[in-house]
Amino acid sequence: MTELNDQALLRYSRHILLPEIDIEGQERLSSARALVVGAGGLGSPVALYLASAGVGTITIADDDVVELTNLQRQIAHDMTSLGVNKAESAAQHMRALNPDITVHPLAARLDAAMLAEQVAAHDVVLDCCDNFATRHAVNAACVAAGVPLVSGAAVRFSGQLAVFDTRDAASPCYHCLFPDEGEASDGPCATFGVLAPLVGVIGSLQAVEAIKLLAGIRPSLGRLTLYEALTGEFRAMKVPRDPACPVCAQRPAG
Amino acid sequence: MPRIVFAPAIQRHVASPAREVAGTSVAAALAAVLAEQPALRGYLLDDQGRLRHHLSVFVDGVAVRDRQWLSDSVRPDSEIYVVQALTGG
Ligand SMILES: [Zn+2]
Repeated sequence: MTELNDQALLRYSRHILLPEIDIEGQERLSSARALVVGAGGLGSPVALYLASAGVGTITIADDDVVELTNLQRQIAHDMTSLGVNKAESAAQHMRALNPDITVHPLAARLDAAMLAEQVAAHDVVLDCCDNFATRHAVNAACVAAGVPLVSGAAVRFSGQLAVFDTRDAASPCYHCLFPDEGEASDGPCATFGVLAPLVGVIGSLQAVEAIKLLAGIRPSLGRLTLYEALTGEFRAMKVPRDPACPVCAQRPAG
Repeated sequence: MPRIVFAPAIQRHVASPAREVAGTSVAAALAAVLAEQPALRGYLLDDQGRLRHHLSVFVDGVAVRDRQWLSDSVRPDSEIYVVQALTGG
């Protein structure tokens, strides 16, 4: 466990004041490793909050470069980031926010082999990507390695959040909820609108759940949270395991 | 009669306001909606009449057990909520 120096005790004092976190929880965060898949709309608030909260090692992966259309909502980047790889740009802003943490930017789209290797080397994975294929690949890697997954998605005015932790016998996986790549996709943000702070809402919820997991607070498992920005409504849906799920069924029953 | 609600991501394809429909199972309730709005069928079901993979159906806030054929029963005061997986990030 990483022991906190005086400067760190000051920096994280508002965490340490929370009895649910305390010095012990903050030290857990400092020793923790998080993998963020995607440095776009969701990945931006996730990366900044994990960095500011003192998650000790953060790997952030994205193969895309920052464009002007991204800056409406992808707040880990700014005008100086235009043309720069998103993972690199996010890493720069994370280090500026908190030089005490280690950030590993990966300027790559993670394939199955890279995902398996990266996921196994982290304590939590935050899925902030923009396509079904990656979502299912990330889920499969998390189930295989027994690493918890905090999944977020947002488009137009709608957002979704779920935490999957298949080390818990009762927890479903992403595949239990949405069994395969969709025939119809809601499409990339390149062609559909996204309300700027919607990704902030969902990304912040992802950061909340990941920090809970890493600090030793029980996350909210078996639940799909739906947010509709147009009506301001949150809904929490219960998601049980699918006993026939081809990805996670082989583990003991809950 | 059970109430059926489609999430906005589905309504973007075919507007389908929340409504009460006859039926004692999710499949029957959905069939009643599709009888009124055949244009929804292709977005909800595949050629074999199974629920499409990127959709999830909840009855009173709990995911249905039979997600293929939607045989789960519903009570007269149940709410059926149909959600589409979002991919954007
Ligand atoms: Zn599963």
